[in-house]
Amino acid sequence: MFLTKKQEKMLEGEMGEVISKNMKLIVKLGEINEAKKLIPIKSAQIAGVSYFTVGEAIFSFFNLFSKENVKVKVPSWLNPAGMDRKNWEKMGITERFAEKQFQIIQKYEEMGVESTLTCTPYLIGYQPNYGEHLAWSESSAVVMANSFFGARTNREGGPSALAAALTGFTAEYGFHLTEKRQPTIKVNVETNLDTLADFSALGYWYGKNFHGETPFITGLSQLSINEAKMLSSAIAASGSVALFHAKNLSPESEIISLDNIKEKIIFSESEKQSVYDCFTQKDTNFDIVVIGCPHASLTELVIIHSSLKDKVLKKNLKFWVFTSQKVSNSKKFKPIQRCLEKKGIEIFTDTCMVVSPIVRTKYKHILTNSAKASKYLSNSKQTKVTFRSLHHILRNVTE
Amino acid sequence: MKSITIRPIVEGKKEGQAIVSQFPISFYGDVDPETGKILDKSNPLYGKSIANKIFVFPESRGSTVGSYVIYGLQVNGVAPLGLIVETAETIVIAGAILADIPLVDKPESNIFSEIKTGDIVQINTIKKEIVIKKRMSID
Repeated sequence: MFLTKKQEKMLEGEMGEVISKNMKLIVKLGEINEAKKLIPIKSAQIAGVSYFTVGEAIFSFFNLFSKENVKVKVPSWLNPAGMDRKNWEKMGITERFAEKQFQIIQKYEEMGVESTLTCTPYLIGYQPNYGEHLAWSESSAVVMANSFFGARTNREGGPSALAAALTGFTAEYGFHLTEKRQPTIKVNVETNLDTLADFSALGYWYGKNFHGETPFITGLSQLSINEAKMLSSAIAASGSVALFHAKNLSPESEIISLDNIKEKIIFSESEKQSVYDCFTQKDTNFDIVVIGCPHASLTELVIIHSSLKDKVLKKNLKFWVFTSQKVSNSKKFKPIQRCLEKKGIEIFTDTCMVVSPIVRTKYKHILTNSAKASKYLSNSKQTKVTFRSLHHILRNVTE
Repeated sequence: MKSITIRPIVEGKKEGQAIVSQFPISFYGDVDPETGKILDKSNPLYGKSIANKIFVFPESRGSTVGSYVIYGLQVNGVAPLGLIVETAETIVIAGAILADIPLVDKPESNIFSEIKTGDIVQINTIKKEIVIKKRMSID
């Protein structure tokens, strides 16, 4: 693989052991994947923040990095943590967990990573530009960056995204190359997608059947940022898909070659229904509703607010919404928040139902509008999950 | 003695007892970073330690936090001496590089029929080979 003089110096240790190791990681991944060179990245999005998922293992790693006081070379943002930074006690998080969680966030901040603590950087002003190379690791944000914005990133892991952030480079392979972005499956949508959950169902069904394959989706009449977000998160969760094209709706759809299509399939009403059936339980004794996987946008919060305006939530039912701190701090949101909180709805920031230990351990029957959350929360044996649209949920949780 | 050609990923020359898992390993969750013991109850190696051994397995899976676990094993002095896998992917590559553990993949012949737990195996990335020096038992 070709390396510039500067890159060679970084690899050989002229900028310290930490940069050298991280450079070695980037170069090796490039060699294994037959990359010809390294390319500069515009931003990095780093997973591996929640103490629930990273555990103690991450601290030995931080010790290595903090020896040399290294800093990220490009704008870099963090994925959600295991708790709300302000309201962790209200969530039921222990003091010990909170202490560890704050230490992890601080270590990343010391490296110059902005503690956005969100899976949706594109909802808080960090939208990538068309054609930019990135190193993002949150799987749903990877699909959004590639598909909705036309930027280019592989599905990075926490360590490889951090290595790219610290060196400023990634290797040119996979989804950085035009020829690797061509779709292989054509999906014609022959049913109405009326709700965000319907887009989630499309993503979940496709990913489950066509692991890792890039689809070319036809038959959609629209694709808003919220709809794309739900489709992206589900398609990545069930199928490790990194990119989709949607005819006339996604930025590369008109220029991408369709020569590699090997199968044509149909997503009809029955396929859509099969996903809801997959997450259906015998009873409807939900003890918690969770919304915000990926993190809720202001638009979704407005919908919840307007749908619940004159209604009262059922007794003994928890209703939690997860969003980013930036969305919750916005001026437009403040009056909505007061109103929702009066109804007993809790708004938590910085975390979500998937990376926080609370939802999956304290609640037995979870109701959500996210197929991604449904998949991950059903992994734990003591929890039952029901997946429905937000409209359906709101109709069923009020007196 | 039998030698098998491999692709070197992280360089080094190490010799030791092999511990062989037929199943993919999710370092996060399946391996205890404090002791090096296998925590996955469905794995026949459950309870056994990979510390100071040549760890042979098909591939790594699961959370990318697995790389941090591999590094943690090194810090705690319970890392494997070397890693032999069928297919190396990002999790094990990142972990091995950061922890400086020799890593090889793409063996020319079937490592699971050739190497048994307890065999003495040498990794030699300069010669691009692994050598099975002593068999546990003659089948």
